[in-house]
Amino acid sequence: MERLKHWVTENPDLSFAILLAVSVYSFFAITEPLFFTHRTGFAIMERFAVLGLVGLALTLCIIAGEIDLSIGSNAALAAVITVRFTDSLGAINALLIALAISTSIGIIQGYFIAYLRIRAIVLTVGTLMLLRGVALFAAEEKTVMLTDFRIPDFISTKMFVYFSPASILVIFMFVLVGLFMTYTRYGREIYAIGGARKEALASGISLKRPMIIVFAISGFCAGLGGVIIGLRSGTAQALGLQYLLLAGTVAAFIGGVSILGGKGGVIGAAIGTLTVNFLNTGLVFNVTPAFMVQMYLGILLLVVIMFQTGSRLFEGSQRRSQLLQDADRRRSILADKIARLRNSPG
Amino acid sequence: MSDTAAVSATGLNIIKRIRRDHSPVVIVMVGLFLVVLISGALITDDFLTWFNVKTIIRDAALVGIMAIGLTFVTLSGNFFLLSMKEIAALSIICFATLMGADWNQWGSAGGEVTTFGLLATFLVAFMITMLVATIAGAAQGALIGLGGNPIVVTLGAAGLFFGIGSWWSDNLVVSYRRPHGAEWLGTGSFFGDIPNITVAFIVIAVVAELVLRYTTFGRQVYLVGANRAAGRATGHENFGMAIKCCIIASVCAAFVAVAFSGQVSSAHVNYFSSEFGSSGDMTIMVIAIVMVGGNSIMGGYGSTLRTSLGAIFISTVDNMMVLNGFNSGARVLAVGLMIVFSIIVFALVRRGSRAVE
Repeated sequence: MERLKHWVTENPDLSFAILLAVSVYSFFAITEPLFFTHRTGFAIMERFAVLGLVGLALTLCIIAGEIDLSIGSNAALAAVITVRFTDSLGAINALLIALAISTSIGIIQGYFIAYLRIRAIVLTVGTLMLLRGVALFAAEEKTVMLTDFRIPDFISTKMFVYFSPASILVIFMFVLVGLFMTYTRYGREIYAIGGARKEALASGISLKRPMIIVFAISGFCAGLGGVIIGLRSGTAQALGLQYLLLAGTVAAFIGGVSILGGKGGVIGAAIGTLTVNFLNTGLVFNVTPAFMVQMYLGILLLVVIMFQTGSRLFEGSQRRSQLLQDADRRRSILADKIARLRNSPG
Repeated sequence: MSDTAAVSATGLNIIKRIRRDHSPVVIVMVGLFLVVLISGALITDDFLTWFNVKTIIRDAALVGIMAIGLTFVTLSGNFFLLSMKEIAALSIICFATLMGADWNQWGSAGGEVTTFGLLATFLVAFMITMLVATIAGAAQGALIGLGGNPIVVTLGAAGLFFGIGSWWSDNLVVSYRRPHGAEWLGTGSFFGDIPNITVAFIVIAVVAELVLRYTTFGRQVYLVGANRAAGRATGHENFGMAIKCCIIASVCAAFVAVAFSGQVSSAHVNYFSSEFGSSGDMTIMVIAIVMVGGNSIMGGYGSTLRTSLGAIFISTVDNMMVLNGFNSGARVLAVGLMIVFSIIVFALVRRGSRAVE
């Protein structure tokens, strides 16, 4: 119990995320009789496969103090490429091509952001549109479709009650990125350029390497998410997948990243994504229209942001009043001393 | 011999004077504009006609007005609002619902349609829409001003506004009958063959530029954008500035929504997401215009004049591609390339002149 208390005070963001996830899950489990079943668990994990990747990618970007707005376009491009070329080249080849393209897009973005020293939002809002154009071009402005539906069937085969090949792959990806972020130097560099960029640069970390790594992972995750969506549904639209950015950002912020960077982690991303998925799936049970889901996500994001900003402001004012108190105390001690010196004989 | 030398010397002098008087950014922009214009005029039929010029400016008008509003936010150092099209969507639903509301039918009193009545209906709907937009803008601005990241705040607000708009209209098309009081703004023209929306664009562009250049408020926008610490030290907090700029952007978006609704006599939340223009997403289009115009996204540098020129530039390229029979994919690609190109060019030009943030 003591250790739990210690852990909670050590990781307030993570414990808040877990609390939120558990309460959302139990709310729906109590109100919806069908929610607490194996099948729903499987459906949630299926959603986790895509949203988790996006949440992971955005978590990494926000840890590095940046945000990748082009993630939806990148995913849509990968989906279009995979679906379009699966018939002619086979699923594996098409998938590899799509992943290679989206990863190299990420690398190029990261390189330019570091080289030009601009904020990522500036560049990625441009590539957001550019990649939509490329995707429209690749899809010839149509909805592309698969003709062979054995691949969608394979991707969503049920394994071990809750999992499918897609979600196992994604969990593997989470573990890999988590290990990378915690135990390698490059991972820690990413934290460093996010939390304290000037200090990191001054201590000799180049901006290029961590930035390229972050955006490469982000591009890869977006691409993989797009590939999974495309192959699973058998169709892809160049203008689709716009909702991923909002959902992924909500997941990242619930997972405890700070917009100032340098905070958060992969476990948080997983829990944040699961919370969003619980909410999504539960609302589907309630027959909520899609735009209402978007609205709830928006409200959730605003609440989390207000919470973060509020706590930052509160901490700032606490620190200020603490400083003032300290100064007052010192002054009174000094005044006491002076008074004593004056009163002392001689 | 001496003649040619003199001519080339004058040429050099002109180039020198241009380089002295204008920043490289402007030269690059104008040069690009000229190249596109000339090459386009040479290869495209019917490009350089009065009718087509009118069409280009008219196409630029709606997105241009929105972009002018957004420029204030960008100049004040608050990046951009990702909720522009959602504010417009909420406003258009609000406006159309009010135009069609039973209690608001002043025009057909006693079975006869009067101009005055139509205008009264329009004014009531217009004022309430503007009020809604102001509240939406102020709420976002307050959150941003308190220290919330503009991108994330407006991403969340976008979902919220879109949801409210969809819920209000049941995700259906809200339509109202002609004749109605918004026709003059949507499709009418007071000045011969120049549509009113074009006039509105020009007037708003001029007013915005004058406000930025010659009023205290305009100066404050630049100050807060260029150096937030200096702004705070001189008593210009970002809190009030963010609220004011977000209100301006929201009101511009709402005005565009009203004008667009006046054109089609109806409203739907998706008007600004899918059916508008060539490039799908209106928010990104608006941001593209602000960027292609060469405004600094970090704030403090730029003007609404640049934004207006950016709008006309993008519209020109779009128009040229339409006339040459390109599909929407190629057009979105072109606009995307223009944004990325302008980001890279402006970043290179301005490199070293601004501290890394």
